[in-house]
Amino acid sequence: MGIVEIRGLTYSYPNAKAPALDGVDLTIERGEFVLLTGPSGCGKTTFCRCLNGLIPHFYGGDLNGDIRVAGLDTRESPTYRLAQHAGLVFQNPDNQIFALTVEKDVAFGLENLGVEKAKMLEGVDWALEKAGISHLRDRATHELSGGQKQRLAIASILAMRPEVLVLDEPTSFLDPLGAERIFQVLESLNKEHGITILLIEHRLDLAAQHVDRVVIFSEGKIVGNGSPEEIFALEETRLAGVGIPKIVQLYKRLRSEGFPLERPPLTPEALVEELGKWLPPEGQQATAKPTSPEIEGFDWERHASPAVEVQGVSFSYPSGVKALDGVSLTIHRGEFVAIMGENGAGKTTLVKHFNGLLRPSAGWIKVDGGDISGLSVANLSRRVGLVFQNPDDQLFSESVEEEIGFALRNFGFEREVVDKRVDWALNLLDVERYRKSSPFALSGGERKRVALASVLAWDPDIIVLDEPTIGQDYAQKERLRHFLMQLRTQGKTTVIVTHDVEFVADCEPRVVLMADGRIVADGPIRRIVTDEGSMRRASVSPPEITKVFSRLSGRGLPPDVLEVDEAAEMLSGLRGRGR
Amino acid sequence: MSILEGLRFSRGDSPLHNMDPRVKFFMTLVIFAAAVMFMDLIPLLVILLAQIPLVFVGMIQREWAKSLRGGVFLAAIIFSTNLVSFYFFQGRSLTSANVEMALSLTVRFLALITSFSLFFLTTSPDKLSLALEKARIPFEFNFAFITAIRFVPVLADEAQSIMDAQRSRGLELDKGGLLSRIRKYIPILLPLIINSIKRSLELAEAMESRAFGATRERTNLYELRMGRGDTAVLAITLAALALTVYIRFFLPPLGPLLPPYKIL
Repeated sequence: MGIVEIRGLTYSYPNAKAPALDGVDLTIERGEFVLLTGPSGCGKTTFCRCLNGLIPHFYGGDLNGDIRVAGLDTRESPTYRLAQHAGLVFQNPDNQIFALTVEKDVAFGLENLGVEKAKMLEGVDWALEKAGISHLRDRATHELSGGQKQRLAIASILAMRPEVLVLDEPTSFLDPLGAERIFQVLESLNKEHGITILLIEHRLDLAAQHVDRVVIFSEGKIVGNGSPEEIFALEETRLAGVGIPKIVQLYKRLRSEGFPLERPPLTPEALVEELGKWLPPEGQQATAKPTSPEIEGFDWERHASPAVEVQGVSFSYPSGVKALDGVSLTIHRGEFVAIMGENGAGKTTLVKHFNGLLRPSAGWIKVDGGDISGLSVANLSRRVGLVFQNPDDQLFSESVEEEIGFALRNFGFEREVVDKRVDWALNLLDVERYRKSSPFALSGGERKRVALASVLAWDPDIIVLDEPTIGQDYAQKERLRHFLMQLRTQGKTTVIVTHDVEFVADCEPRVVLMADGRIVADGPIRRIVTDEGSMRRASVSPPEITKVFSRLSGRGLPPDVLEVDEAAEMLSGLRGRGR
Repeated sequence: MSILEGLRFSRGDSPLHNMDPRVKFFMTLVIFAAAVMFMDLIPLLVILLAQIPLVFVGMIQREWAKSLRGGVFLAAIIFSTNLVSFYFFQGRSLTSANVEMALSLTVRFLALITSFSLFFLTTSPDKLSLALEKARIPFEFNFAFITAIRFVPVLADEAQSIMDAQRSRGLELDKGGLLSRIRKYIPILLPLIINSIKRSLELAEAMESRAFGATRERTNLYELRMGRGDTAVLAITLAALALTVYIRFFLPPLGPLLPPYKIL
C-alpha cells in the first residue's frame, strides 16, 4: 500500500457552486518524489490541504471519497496527528514562521507536541542540518532572506519527522538561485533519507529534473500522471495549459523534423548528449559567430532621445543597508529594458527612483531630459507608471471600474476623460466583463491585470513593471508577454524588473544585470547571456536553449541562441550539411 | 511613535539581559509601585536617578534616551495641564507648591517610562513568553502576544509597499484639509486590513500544520533557571520594597521643598 492512497476524492468548499476536486485517484509510494502541476485554480492547493486534514477539519465543506495518509484516515484523525506524518510547507515563508529566533521556530512543532527537551534538541539539530541552515541557528527570523526563510519553514516541518513532505509552490517568491537551493535540499531529503516528497510547482524547467513522477491537474481532475519524459510527450500536457520546458519543445521540433532522438531531455546536458550522436563531430567548422549583428547594430543613442537618465546614483536605507552604489544608466525612448539580478541586488530600489518614491543620497536622475529632484511623486507618476509586484498591495475599490479610475481622479482628469480612459484600459487588458465586479472576487491573474490596467489608464510614457511574472502560470505569462510586445510595437518605453530568465529570453530586450547595488553588465540580451562572468556575478543562469548552444559552440554553432524556432532551424541545417 | 520605539527589544549581552525575566519583572513592578506611592519631588527624583546606573548596566543608554525624547512631549503636557488646572481650581491663583506638585508628577512619569524601558529593552519576547507561560497564563494569549511582536516588521514592510503603490497612482497624502487627509488613508488602510485577514488565515493553516494545540502539556525549548545573581537581585529588590514602604508609611512626610510663595 502506498503512503498516500486516494480514491474518488471529490471536494467542494462551503458555499461553492462547483467542486474544487472532482474524482481524484492517486497513489504515492513511499520514497517517491512527485511533482504536481497545472494552471492556477486547477485544485492543486486544495489537494494539498486534504493531505494533512486541513480539509475537512479546518475548512469544512463537502468531502467524499477515501484518503489515507500513512494508513490514517484523514477524516478521523485530527490535523495535529496527521501533521506528524504529512508536513505542509506553504508559498509565503513569512506566514509560517512564528518565533523570533531560528532555533525556536524549528522547535515550535515539537513544543506543541510536548516532546521532552533532550529529544527536542536532537530534532532541531537534525532538521537545521538537513535544511542546510545550521549556521543560521541563533539568527533573528526577520533578518533572513526569502530563500533562507523558506528553508527555515522546511526545517520547522522536518523537525516533526514527517514521512511525507508536501510543498505548495515553495519557490514562487524566490530567485532562481534560492529556488535551486530548495530543490537541492528536497532532492537530498528524498534520496538520502527516503522522505516522500510531493512538490507543487509552476517552474517545470527547474523542477522536472529532480522528480520521479509528474502529475497534472486541470479543473479539479488529474489529466496526466507519469514520468516527466512521458508527461512532456503527451498532448494533454500542453492542452492543460502547462508550460513545457524549452528544451523539451526543441526536442519535439527536432523529432518532427526527423531527428532520431530517443526520449525527452530534462536537462540541457541530456539534450547536448543526445544531439552529439547525430551532429557532425567537433572542430569541423571554424569558431562560431554571434547570430544577429543587426540587433546589436541599432544605435539608440543616435536615433532616440533619453527617457530616463541615471547618473552616479547611490542610495542607503535607514537601516544602513547600501542598496545602490554609483549606478549610471540611460534608457531611451521606445526602448525595452529588463533589469535582472538576484533578490536584494537593488533592482526594485533603482526603479523606485524613476518616479521619486526614493531620492538618491548621491547622483542625479533625469526624466525626459529634466532633473527630477524638485518634482513630486504624483507629478512624476504622470510620466512614469510603476506597476508593483503584488496587486493586493493596491486594490481597495468596490468595483474594477472604480479601481481603474482612482489614479485618473487623483490626477484631476475631467469626468468624461476618466470614463473614456477607464473604458480603454478595461478593453486593453481584457477585463471589461469584470467592470462592476469587486476586484477582490477575481482570481490572482485577473487581479494582476486590473492592477496593470489601473496604471496604464493614464497612458504614462514610461512603464515600469516590478516582477510581473511572480506567481503567474504559463498561460498568464504568455498573455503578459503578448501584451508587452504590443506596448513595444507602440513605441512605449518599457522597463521590467525580473529574475525570470526564460520570460526575458522570449521578449528579447536590452538586459541590465545588477549585483550588490551595481550594474555589472548592460547590452542586448544575446550579448549578455553569453557573458558568463557577468551572468554568474548577478546569479542569473542563462536560458535553457542558450545553455545547450554554449555547449555546442565547438561544432560551429553560434552561442547566443535564445528561441526554440531558431535553434531547431540551425540544428537541422547543420545536420543536413553533416550528412 | 518614538515613545514606543524605546520599548523595542534589541539583542544584547549584559547582566540585565541575562537576568531571569521574572525577577526583572518583579523589579520593574517594585519601581512602579514606589513611583506611585510617593507624591513628593525628592523621593520621586531618587527613584528616577536610582534607575540610571541600571540603564548603563544594560547598555541601553541610546534607546532609553530615544524613549525619553519621545516622552518629552507627553511630559510637557502633564506639566502644563497640572499647572493650568491648579490655576483654575484654586480660583485663578498659583503657588510654589503647585509648581512643585506638577514637577513631581512629571518626574514620576519619566521614572515610569524608564522602568518600562529597562524591562522591555532588555527582555527578549521569547523569554518574556516563557515567563508568562511559567506564570500559568494560557498559551493562546502568550502566543498571540509573540505573534503580534513577530509581525511588526512584516506589517511595516507591507504598509510601505502599499504606500509606494498608491503614491505611484497619484495619491498625495500630505495635501488637502484634515478631513480629506484622513480620507486619503482609506486606500492604504483597506489593502492593509484585507491582507492581514488573508494572512491570519494562512497563519492559522500553518499553525495547524505545526500541531498547534496537540496537547495541554506543552514543552519549551528554553528553560528558566534562577541563578545566584538573580537571587541576589531578588533579595535587594525585596529590601528596597521594604525600605520604601517604611519611608512612605512610618516616617513623617518631607513637606514641600520650596518655601510657600504665591506666584500668580
